[in-house]
Amino acid sequence: MRDIRKMTQVTMLISISILFHILESMVYLPIPIPGFKLGLANIVGLVALYHYGVHTMIQVNLFRVLLASLLRGLLFGTAFWLSLCGVLCSMIAAIIAYKKTPMSFYGVSVASSVFHVIGQMIAVSFLYQQLLMGYLLPILMLLAIPTGIGVAYIGKEVQKRLAIY
Amino acid sequence: MNKADKIFISMVICCAFLFYVPLFISDYQNKGKQKEVVVSYKNEEVLRVKLDQNGVYQVNGTLGPVDVEVEASAVRVEKENSPYHLCSVQGWVKEPNRPIICLPNHIIVQIEAKGDVENSLDTVIQ
Repeated sequence: MRDIRKMTQVTMLISISILFHILESMVYLPIPIPGFKLGLANIVGLVALYHYGVHTMIQVNLFRVLLASLLRGLLFGTAFWLSLCGVLCSMIAAIIAYKKTPMSFYGVSVASSVFHVIGQMIAVSFLYQQLLMGYLLPILMLLAIPTGIGVAYIGKEVQKRLAIY
Repeated sequence: MNKADKIFISMVICCAFLFYVPLFISDYQNKGKQKEVVVSYKNEEVLRVKLDQNGVYQVNGTLGPVDVEVEASAVRVEKENSPYHLCSVQGWVKEPNRPIICLPNHIIVQIEAKGDVENSLDTVIQ
């Protein structure tokens, strides 16, 4: 019974993260910096990490990237590889920060956002043979700090409400 | 937010500024050099013009024609067909280390300082 309950909750988390992922790719932010995103889907990943553990976060994030790309018809396209590389780096950073450092929810979220940017830059460098794209990296890294803190704030509020159940 | 978070955030800020050091050095080295605009489509060079050769040049991208404008030693993507028009929003670029990348059109507009080509050829021969 507990397994079914957990499975249902994880499935709902995956569907919410897919929704955030698709919504974010549809909403245009009027900032002339390519690659800048709020990272709303990361809220779900972090909630999964703190509420259920590392395995669930990996499940949620990987299924999110795979299914959101499939639903948008961009599977194995450029956007898919960028998302996958970003999410892999972000997950590794979040897991290390969560397990090996005394960082709080905010620190883990910022680490996750910053490494998402780094992962995407690695993917861009591979796909376009453009190491010079690195000039965007510092700006995106700096922007990842406030977005990471914002994501952590929302994630923390969600976690408080989830703790009731 | 605890102390470890603050230390990590400060480290990120320091790293971000440190990443700019090599860019500033290469900008300084390229000062006064002759520069060329190189436009590539899917990693293949499709256009090469001198940065002082003013004009609007058209190349074909994945989603349609892309107009690249060169004026007053600067380059920009003037018109293109993409969902968010990020590369035309990026505006004028004057320095070699700031490529304009139009992902949906697979177009890269980049300024090369003369001497860069020779260096890259040397790397290939090695």
